[in-house]
Amino acid sequence: MTNFSLSGISSFSSAQLKLHFEESSCRLDLTGLPDVSASPSDASDGVPGQRLSILTGWELNLGQRAALQGKLEHLQALVAAVQPYVRHLVSNHPCPQGDPSSPVSLEPRGKGHRLQLRSSQANTEPLDLQLDDAELADLTQCLDQMLQDQRLGISLPLPAPQPLRRREQPRRKGAATGWAAPAAALGALLITAGLASVIPLPERKRPAAQPPAPTTSQR
Amino acid sequence: MPRRGLERLDLLLLAIEALDLHGSEAMLWSCEQLGLSAAFPDRVALWKSRCRNPLRRASRRGELSSQEQQGLVQLVCSLSQRLYPMLRQLLSSSEPEQLNSQRWELFSSRYRELIQERMNEKRGAIRLLIDSSEGESLRRQVVQTLLFCAGPGGLQRLEASLMDGSR
Repeated sequence: MTNFSLSGISSFSSAQLKLHFEESSCRLDLTGLPDVSASPSDASDGVPGQRLSILTGWELNLGQRAALQGKLEHLQALVAAVQPYVRHLVSNHPCPQGDPSSPVSLEPRGKGHRLQLRSSQANTEPLDLQLDDAELADLTQCLDQMLQDQRLGISLPLPAPQPLRRREQPRRKGAATGWAAPAAALGALLITAGLASVIPLPERKRPAAQPPAPTTSQR
Repeated sequence: MPRRGLERLDLLLLAIEALDLHGSEAMLWSCEQLGLSAAFPDRVALWKSRCRNPLRRASRRGELSSQEQQGLVQLVCSLSQRLYPMLRQLLSSSEPEQLNSQRWELFSSRYRELIQERMNEKRGAIRLLIDSSEGESLRRQVVQTLLFCAGPGGLQRLEASLMDGSR
C-alpha cells in the first residue's frame, strides 16, 4: 500500500530547468539554469544542458500551511538545519539546529518540531511552524531526493552523518536501576559485616586450674 | 558495531514484524531484491544473524561480520521505505485520534508479544520496553527511528546512529 508519490521530474522550457520533489504534505520545486560552459562529462547522463547548476529560485509548499520561496543561501540553511536534526532524531536525541541569527532553525517543541524561518527583509516577523513527525519526515524525504538527484549540479555542502560521541548519547532508561541491585547487595554485605564486627565475641573460658592429680608410686 | 547498536538493529527488525503481518516473508523477499543472498541465503542464516543480539532469549556469541551488519541495515531501511505510509500514519497528528490510538494499541500488543516470545525478559531494557506505560515512549522512539531511516538518505543516518558511542 503506497499513498505517497516519489517524483523527480524535470521539465525544460527555453533552457530553464525545473525539478520537483513531492511527498504527501510537502512539495519542493527548484528552478534554475544549466551551466552551458560545463563539459559534457560534468552533465547528467553525459548530455550537456540537463543539469541544474545555477539556482534562480526554489519554492517549498508545506501542505496548506505555508509556501516558502528563497534563494540558494536559504536552501543551504534549510538543508543544514533539517539534515543534522533528523540525524539526531534517529538516535532519539533531538538537538536544536540553527541559532536565532540563521535563516532557518529547528528545535523540538512538545510532541513535534518547531521550524522557524527568518526573512532577510527587515521588519518581517519570523515564520513559526509546528511540524509533526510525519510532516518532518516528508520534508526530509524531499530534501534527501534533491540531494541525491544527479540532475542537480549545485553544491550543498553537508558533512556525512557521524555517530554521536559517548557523552552525547541519551541516557538509557533503566541504566540507573541496572546498577541498583548489585549496589544494594554490596551495601547489605557491608552493613552486615559492620554489625558483625560490633557484636562482642563470647569470651573463651579458660579451664580452672586443677590440682595436680595425686600420683602414687607402687612398688 | 557496538553492542547497543546490535540490540537496536534487532529491535527495529522486530518492530517491522509487528507492523507487517508478513514481515518475516518480506525480509526474505527484500534480501533477494537487495542482492543480499550471499549474506543471508535463507531464513535460518538471517535468524542466526539476528540472534547475535545479546537481549535475545537464545543469544549467540560472537560478532556480526561487516557484510551481515551492512545487510541488516539495508534491510531495515528498505522495509521502512515499504512501510512508510503506515509509519507516517502512526506518527501523524492529522490522523483521527481514536483510529490512531487503535493502531498504536494493535502495534504495541503485537510488539510486546514478539518481544516476550523471543527476548530475555529478565533484562531491564526488555522489561521497560514491554511495560504498558513506561514502554510507550520507547516504542514510539522505535517507530520514529524507522520513519526517519526511510528514504534515500536513511541508510547513512541509520548506519551512523547504530555506531553511536564508538568514537
